[in-house]
Amino acid sequence: MVLRKAKGIHIDGRKGLSRDVPLEEYFHPHFVYIPLLQQNSPLKKMVEVGASVKIGQVVAMREGFGTMPIHASISGKVTAFKKVWHSSGKMIEAIEIENDNLNLMDDSIIPEINLENLTKEQLIQKMKDAGLSGLGGAGFPTYIKYQAKCPIDVVIINGVECEPYLTCDYMLMKKYPEKLLKGLSYFLKAANAKKGVIAFKDYNRPIREALEPLLSKYPRITLQGMKDVYPAGWEKFVVEQVTGKTYKKLPSEVGVIVDNSATAIAFADMVENNIPLISRVITITGEGISKPQNFHVPLGTKVSDLIEMSGGYRPDLDPKDSWYIAGGPMTGRAILIDDLIVNDTLGAVIVKPMPAPTLHPECLGCGRCSDVCPVFLTPTSIKNALDRKDVKLIKSLAADKCIACGLCSYVCPSHIEITDYVAKAKDLLAKGA
Amino acid sequence: MARFSGGKAPFLRISDLDNQGTKTIMRDFMIGLLPVVLFAWYKNGIMVYIAGNITFLEMLYPLVFMFLGGFLSVLYEAIFFYVTDKEARNFKGLLAKVKVSYGLFPGLILALLLPLYTPIWVLMFGCFMATIVGKMLFGGFGYNIFNPAVVGRVAIMFTLLAVVNAAGGFMNGSEVLVDSYAGATPLTLFSISKQIDYQTIVAPYGNLWDFFIGTIPGSLGETSFLFCLVSYIWLSVRKVINWSTPLIYVLTVFILSWLIGIANGDAGIWFPLYSIFSGGVAFGAVFMATEPVTTPRNPLGKVFFALFIGALTVLFRFIGVYPEGVATSIIVMNIFTIPLDNVTASIRVLGVNKRTFGKLAFIVLLLVAVMVYAVLKSINMYSLSAFMIGGLI
Repeated sequence: MVLRKAKGIHIDGRKGLSRDVPLEEYFHPHFVYIPLLQQNSPLKKMVEVGASVKIGQVVAMREGFGTMPIHASISGKVTAFKKVWHSSGKMIEAIEIENDNLNLMDDSIIPEINLENLTKEQLIQKMKDAGLSGLGGAGFPTYIKYQAKCPIDVVIINGVECEPYLTCDYMLMKKYPEKLLKGLSYFLKAANAKKGVIAFKDYNRPIREALEPLLSKYPRITLQGMKDVYPAGWEKFVVEQVTGKTYKKLPSEVGVIVDNSATAIAFADMVENNIPLISRVITITGEGISKPQNFHVPLGTKVSDLIEMSGGYRPDLDPKDSWYIAGGPMTGRAILIDDLIVNDTLGAVIVKPMPAPTLHPECLGCGRCSDVCPVFLTPTSIKNALDRKDVKLIKSLAADKCIACGLCSYVCPSHIEITDYVAKAKDLLAKGA
Repeated sequence: MARFSGGKAPFLRISDLDNQGTKTIMRDFMIGLLPVVLFAWYKNGIMVYIAGNITFLEMLYPLVFMFLGGFLSVLYEAIFFYVTDKEARNFKGLLAKVKVSYGLFPGLILALLLPLYTPIWVLMFGCFMATIVGKMLFGGFGYNIFNPAVVGRVAIMFTLLAVVNAAGGFMNGSEVLVDSYAGATPLTLFSISKQIDYQTIVAPYGNLWDFFIGTIPGSLGETSFLFCLVSYIWLSVRKVINWSTPLIYVLTVFILSWLIGIANGDAGIWFPLYSIFSGGVAFGAVFMATEPVTTPRNPLGKVFFALFIGALTVLFRFIGVYPEGVATSIIVMNIFTIPLDNVTASIRVLGVNKRTFGKLAFIVLLLVAVMVYAVLKSINMYSLSAFMIGGLI
């Protein structure tokens, strides 16, 4: 149907800011802070102040849905429990670990000897023990996807990274193509799937160049180029492009599991060396940063350390008129104090000056928000229904389908916070129902 | 540690770019009006001047008239802001309000919908109705339910049509001198003669090519299909308007007119062409059916809106008492914009399923009913009268 084709739109990616600077590894922060929160679940601490911890030692436990351990990312001493700013936009209690710079590894981190004969169940257990969660931004515990009962045909690696400014996945894929392929082949084994697909944007030729020569060793894995549109990295969009199938809630309905490329690379290390999830790559970028670049850091590293290593803020930056954004510019959060720590879902910190404030006219009703919406909502109607608190109408307008991609606000010529209105309508619906 | 500013995602906005946002849309819309404005000047000023029927100063009058429409509108809005809004009591505040209210358009478009020799006081009345009643009383830019310019036009047509006709009707300076026109536009002639006959309703004004170019009697901006087409292409390319709405509207009028022609015994392609080239179909399609504030926002709603005004235009034109139906059909559909938008938005997002099928069926049936009624009813009107006139001769 012509009226229902989600095409996405091209957005100036501004990835050039950080793409050409080599990935820098920084594994010796003075302190790390392991936040006691994952997704919306609070974590139970497993250590006390004064305890010595090694790299990979369990320091906290996620309980309830998605039970799994959380590990220390450096070796040293637990010095305090402190509140720190977290990418969720709130202050969260965290375990402060002071680095002893000895890099002592936990006993569990040893090369896997039984690599060839790992079973599906063992692989899933490894995901769980390693605390592997989606590094793309949602932070969903990976093992839960693989425990699902539905038969899985295809595992798709989502390396699309459609958010502007971000280059962390690109960097990692370019640097570790072998690990990516290995990680994916372990995922295939864990899912009993026949086919693996690595999706990335067409214009990222270095990824294709890095992967293609290695593909002969992995006959079940193929590459899929994607158009440079937003939201091309949305899970549903990726599944639709790769398989031509669409689903309602979860990709497993159509026999697909989607994982982020960084997750696959981390998984390769988990399987082969039993290294739990203790590090990630983060892009420090934006027009307000002197030398935008990517860092590979232990989880819990302070972002301010990384900004300092990127040459600090530009001298002409006035924080009062700038944003400090945790995550991508389309879906991220403005953080008020630049005291953020790196957690598993934080792919980027963007510092950019705010545009000059101008007087914007009222909604003129052009309908562009409706044109671009990847789930075919009509945000203007939802806003009107919200103004009247008409829950029934909001329901028939299906505000709950919103994926918060931000496109409606992005295209709005009158600068209306329309994404936010739809989010509020969604909340109202959740409360009302 | 530094304190940063708050904000809401997304942190990139098209409207923050230099040449984007509403002001650019409005500028492009203004450029889109230019072909029509310039043709109106050519047809009502330059052409008549070349024919030697008016003086040089009179040649400039069409431009003055159109400018006056826009100016009056802005003036009314400024006065309205000054009276109702305390913040607008100083020059800077007033300017800020006027700047984002785009007051120029109701008056300018209204002027294009009126014939050249409309008395100035009638224009003033029309602009008042358009700007104050049609727009500001509803809450101003973005909140009006009816297309302001059409409100002004309808107000004039329903109350002061005799005054307009007495002042020169829909003729330019040359056309008033042509006896065979007898002061009638093609559609007026058609509604009097009630005959679907090329010789009766097209031949007095030349041929269909003249209809296409627009050198026939009519309102300032409405006569030229060609220049509306030029505007349409520009506005579509610049994405100011949705390209499909005018196309669907014009096609609906075309097909229904053709069916009416066939139902009355004339299957010639000339009649549907005559139907879309005459009156305000082209202008209405490009500038009024696409007017964002008063039409549905979602693409499916836009499609239904265009289909409905097409059906209603034909209904009002061929069945109603007035010769023209474009403005009336748009006003009528403006009433239904919000419910239509909500219902089609729901159908679009949920797809056709148990919950939405009833709504969709209702809209489609209503649409088909209007179309069928218009065609069937016309058989009576035009066949019978044609028979009667034939009998008399």
